[in-house]
Amino acid sequence: MAILNFKKRQIECKIVYYGPGRSGKTTNMEYVYRTYTKQVTGDMVSIDTEGDRTLFFDFLPMGLGEIKGFDVKVQVYTVPGQVQYRSTRKLVLKGVDAVIFVADSLAVRREKNMLSLKDLQHNLKEYGISIFKIPLVMQHNKRDLVSEALPIMSLEQMEKDLNRQLKVPSFPASALTGKGVGATLKECLKLTLVSLKKEMKLE
Amino acid sequence: MSVVKKIKALLKEAEMYHSQGLLYEAMAKYNDATELVQKSDQLKDKPALIGGISKKINTLKKDISRIELAPKKPEMSTNIQDLIKKMSLFSPDLDEDAKALDAAVTLAKFGQFKRAISEFNTLLKKDSTRIPAAKNILRCHIALYSSNDAVAQYQTWLSEDAFHPDQLDKLRIFLENQLKREGVEKTLPKTKDQIIEISAEASAEADEEHVPAPEITDEEHHEPAAESEDVLDVNSLGITVDDGPQKGNVYEFKVRFQLGKVVSLLIPSREKDVVENFKVGSEIHNVQYYTNVGLFNGSGLVAAVKEITIGPLRGDFCVDIEVVVH
Ligand SMILES: Nc1nc2c(ncn2[C@@H]2O[C@H](COP(=O)(O)OP(=O)(O)O)[C@@H](O)[C@H]2O)c(=O)[nH]1
Ligand SMILES: [Mg+2]
Repeated sequence: MAILNFKKRQIECKIVYYGPGRSGKTTNMEYVYRTYTKQVTGDMVSIDTEGDRTLFFDFLPMGLGEIKGFDVKVQVYTVPGQVQYRSTRKLVLKGVDAVIFVADSLAVRREKNMLSLKDLQHNLKEYGISIFKIPLVMQHNKRDLVSEALPIMSLEQMEKDLNRQLKVPSFPASALTGKGVGATLKECLKLTLVSLKKEMKLE
Repeated sequence: MSVVKKIKALLKEAEMYHSQGLLYEAMAKYNDATELVQKSDQLKDKPALIGGISKKINTLKKDISRIELAPKKPEMSTNIQDLIKKMSLFSPDLDEDAKALDAAVTLAKFGQFKRAISEFNTLLKKDSTRIPAAKNILRCHIALYSSNDAVAQYQTWLSEDAFHPDQLDKLRIFLENQLKREGVEKTLPKTKDQIIEISAEASAEADEEHVPAPEITDEEHHEPAAESEDVLDVNSLGITVDDGPQKGNVYEFKVRFQLGKVVSLLIPSREKDVVENFKVGSEIHNVQYYTNVGLFNGSGLVAAVKEITIGPLRGDFCVDIEVVVH
């Protein structure tokens, strides 16, 4: 839930990149950090440990301009995908306003995608949030690998696996080249703002 | 597809997965390739091929063990730690050293013990922060490594004459109590000479022959039971709500950290309702403080309430309470 600060006239919300390990969450954020310098309001913070896996989280502060005289600040996080970091994932999800689910197009990761989506649903539920209600955008990443003659899933297959019931906006992408990264984030920010406006009207 | 082509495709796939950090997937493909080579009878130089693949497997194995052996709870990056330091709850009227102390304690609260230790070490050099910094170094050692490390640190200070005897006494009693909290009953050396004697005693186990060093008690100098600037170490506290809709409810909180008279509680966001009872500056009557020597009743002054807005504890509340002993 977004945090409203009436004194500072500020809204702070939180977006989380979720998905299985190595699907490209950090790469997404790195591209955003490099490319959207106008919206990025501070440094990207991440922990590169042995093997450069995200053990903790990556963090990127952004600013989105104003709604109704309120300065909208966005904290963007990624979660560590590896199964063993379950508790960190849950902590990072705390107070989340919107989620970008980054799925891996490699066929060998098919099951991992589905398990991670289930894990997301489960963790959101523990915070009393329904995966059907929260602003959610799906990204099918690593599409560039299609040309490498590797076993890659078709977009139809991925939609069927992951988005059949959710029916959320989804984007093919290649975080490595940046293709689709901006579109995914923009859609997510749009959904976030819409739901924020709704929230503010209610109050 | 010919066997050779199949093997090539498998190896290419394996390499790709390896470069993506998908190590187990890569391993599976290398294993498939090896199996294919072994089964085939069209291939000429099987041993060389298998040798080549197993070299790749070895590199991969190294990467896997590097990751599996990596520490599970790393210290966060300096940037994050700096963000955390900014979250410390110092009040504007504190002097620079007190603020620095507070910031270091905040780091420790978030489990950033190594960085905290290095900052506390700087604060050891200043008179006003010397003792609290030393105590917190001991705490961090216990949390980070083990009680043995804390004891080793104490012994180093003792052998280096790093502190005034009075101060060392305080630290010794403090550490003994901390150890008790950890379930370790240990008598710490009071003087340099005893360091050797006590470690000899430990190695000889229950050596009946050993004559303990005579206790020198001089009249003027008795053990400071509860040091003036530091109430007893509080492990947890119980609060009975005496007003409002939650009247009569009893809550128990574990103390996350303590700096002198001020104890810090971490209240999870799901218990947000409780936080409403804590208004900065107000007094909470009816507080039970649980310490390692027993329970005492008192009250508490709410010194600070802050919602954590960053990091994995975002949404939780940090509440500082100043212990008031009746
Ligand atoms: N080919 C390709 N590789 C990618 C893409 N996105 C990420 N990767 C690679 O996949 C690996 C894991 O990416 P990372 O962002 O660390 O994944 P995370 O665990 O989800 O944060 C890295 O080696 C990236 O270079 C992509 O779109 N195409
Ligand atoms: Mg990552």
